Amino acid sequence: MRTKRVRAIALPIALILSASLLAGCAPQEDAGLVIYSGRSESLISPFLNEFTALTGIKPDVRYGDSAALAAQLLEEGHNSPADLFISQDAGALGAISEAGLFATLDDAILNRVEEKFRSSRLDWVGISGRVRVLAYSPERVKNLPTSIDQLTSPDYRGRIGIAPTNASFQAFITALILSRGESAAGNWLEKLKANAVKLYERNSQIVAAIDAGEIDLGLVNHYYIWEVSKALGREIAVANGFFAPGDTGNMINVAGVGILSTSSKKGSASELLAFLLSEAVQRGFLEDTHEYSLVLKDANPQGLPPLSQIPAPRVDLSLLANLSKTQALLMKVGLI
Amino acid sequence: MLAFLAASLPLFYLLRRALDAQISEIALILFRGKTLEILATTLGLTAAVTACASLIGVALAWMLFNIDFPFKSGLQALVILPVAIPSYVFAYSWILLIPGFKGFWAALFVLVLATTPYVTLTTLAALRRSDWSTYEVSQTLGLNGWQIFARVTWPQIKNSVAAGSLLSSLYVLSDFGAIALLGVDTLTRAIENIYRGSFDRSSASILALILVAISALLIRLEERSRQKLNIVKSSARIITKGVTTGKLRIKLIALLAINTYLALGLVIPISQLLSIFFANSTSINYSLLSKASLSTLLAACLGALIALALALPVGVLSAQGSKLGKVSDKAILIVHALPGIVMGLALVSFGSSIGWLYQSLLLLSFAYALLFMAKAVGSVRSSVARVPENLIEISATLGQKKSATFRRVVIPLATPGLLSGTLLVLLAAMKELPATLMLKPIGFETLATQMWSYTSIFRFNEAAPYALLLVLVAAIPTFLINRPDKGDGLGGDRI
Repeated sequence: MRTKRVRAIALPIALILSASLLAGCAPQEDAGLVIYSGRSESLISPFLNEFTALTGIKPDVRYGDSAALAAQLLEEGHNSPADLFISQDAGALGAISEAGLFATLDDAILNRVEEKFRSSRLDWVGISGRVRVLAYSPERVKNLPTSIDQLTSPDYRGRIGIAPTNASFQAFITALILSRGESAAGNWLEKLKANAVKLYERNSQIVAAIDAGEIDLGLVNHYYIWEVSKALGREIAVANGFFAPGDTGNMINVAGVGILSTSSKKGSASELLAFLLSEAVQRGFLEDTHEYSLVLKDANPQGLPPLSQIPAPRVDLSLLANLSKTQALLMKVGLI
Repeated sequence: MLAFLAASLPLFYLLRRALDAQISEIALILFRGKTLEILATTLGLTAAVTACASLIGVALAWMLFNIDFPFKSGLQALVILPVAIPSYVFAYSWILLIPGFKGFWAALFVLVLATTPYVTLTTLAALRRSDWSTYEVSQTLGLNGWQIFARVTWPQIKNSVAAGSLLSSLYVLSDFGAIALLGVDTLTRAIENIYRGSFDRSSASILALILVAISALLIRLEERSRQKLNIVKSSARIITKGVTTGKLRIKLIALLAINTYLALGLVIPISQLLSIFFANSTSINYSLLSKASLSTLLAACLGALIALALALPVGVLSAQGSKLGKVSDKAILIVHALPGIVMGLALVSFGSSIGWLYQSLLLLSFAYALLFMAKAVGSVRSSVARVPENLIEISATLGQKKSATFRRVVIPLATPGLLSGTLLVLLAAMKELPATLMLKPIGFETLATQMWSYTSIFRFNEAAPYALLLVLVAAIPTFLINRPDKGDGLGGDRI
């Protein structure tokens, strides 16, 4: 009885498995352009399909978290099958660049964006901009703080949310260390913690918490308002605010792309990179994800000032790769 | 031997990476206040979850075995199904239900729901192969239900309960999804954060080695609690029903308890998924959905088969008391506490130099086997250990070769344990994410990776159908294997 049943289960499974193993093991020589993408599928694949229609080049994409993909690329080293790495933040790009795994890019590509939005080693380039903002509830916050230093005042006790494990928050703290020095930055973090700041895992959770009335303000990237609103299928009661011009709280970070030095398809990879920086795609980023275009300088996401008018501090994005100091500081303060 | 080598692969990787670190760095990581705090939280949470899950798991298994209900075999399969729900889905559905659901107690609650099935399943399997004759004797002697449990049942299931509890504690150690959403700082979260923030693989490896040390400790504990069975294994009968209690009051209480668990662990997450989906329903891409289901099943089945192939010799050798078997057994279990990202990177490090193997279906399934064979090895060991020696002797007396005895006596009798172990590997592999993202062939999407691609951009409504299907697909093997009353599968006929 039992053997019969086991056979009844095992036989079809064995058949399916062997068939698919054969299919799976078929040599995939001359695979297409291999992309490791930290940008999620639904945000990038429509553009990649367009690229294929235009050029006939078919990219094979491995999606993942930007930081995990960076760790994977570092682990693969010179054996990496990847040709191109699309990252959602400058830090992950910087880590690959520091390890010397990126190839130098053509001037034609580099010159598409301003110097401050690309690597100083000339081996990666930003493709879209993301601005740090102070998300707040217009109902419960009438006067916006003008500096991140005001966030530590008793007025905001228990009302602020941050996501200290998030790469975008850590990039902001790195910028803070660069501008004020380590002890001042540590001091600010200590005071923020003492002010009963609430900790979240993701930026989107902070925005949702403001909408739900759990907290009143949060340090996030600018596009989460649209993301959360879309996810909930309704308008949310959260607005984006800025600090006074030059405050580190307004810093601009980028999502960007680099070409791996081990790639044997650098030509097609460059073609794709140029395509991602073309006007049509840049406009797409602006409309789909409400990110800033780094090419269309006067275009802006609905309801926000254009990029050139963001009161942002000057930050060298190439320096964001080494977050170990930042992490050590956050650990010392006890926020992560 | 192969299994041992495979299991020690990640350990070698960790040691190599950890040795890259500077001594001062190591000291900074190990001796800061926060590390101690993290360590305390990790240990506290693991202990609390394991204790609760064991208690509830044994209670559920006992009730489902000893008390007659309508649709009993269905219930027996249902209580195992929460294993198929990823821990972050659990966490997220409760966060939606209770605003501000966060912190240690929230994590305790969610992880108990998620890990109880490990104890329930191993205990049920043990109950089914417990010795029927001792029940008959104890009933003849006029012992009551509680006395029978304490004196007859418990000694026979104790080892399996310990094995299940160990699985649940290793699950807590390696969990990231629920822990991160609920904001609890455990070692696994700290490891993940280091990878994310500084790409610093050596500090992360040092923390991972601490995790390895903790799991080694837990395994030692479990081993010490495991006693040599001093029951004479005379009967090889496999039983499907225990000492039936017919009292209505007890029946009602039991039914209430079982349904409460099902409501919290299955109905609430699923109904939350449904409500997320319908709150903002979008068109479903059915071809993508069905392709992802098939891929999930394919990779997970392959993984489960490889795991069984590796765990079987280890379990058998370990049950026979062989040194190699015991060492491999432990290596497999230790590795089980490691977070998926660590295992993924270890296999990337080893696989990327072998072009044809790297990011193939084979390597992915191998990764699943490596990650989860710990879930099978315990039940293989204990079910092989319970095969009556006199049957093996009789078989030898009848002139059967060792291999034939193994095939015709040991395997059939151990089948319930083997199946339940393999099932656990299968269910766990189906929802695996971090290693899958790194190792899957490009374009090969599983339900978990699809779900992730939507949740990572906060599109929970689009992720919901994938999560629902994950539970549904997982239900198939669970029901198929868990049909004791039909006289096959886990239960088997009485011999």
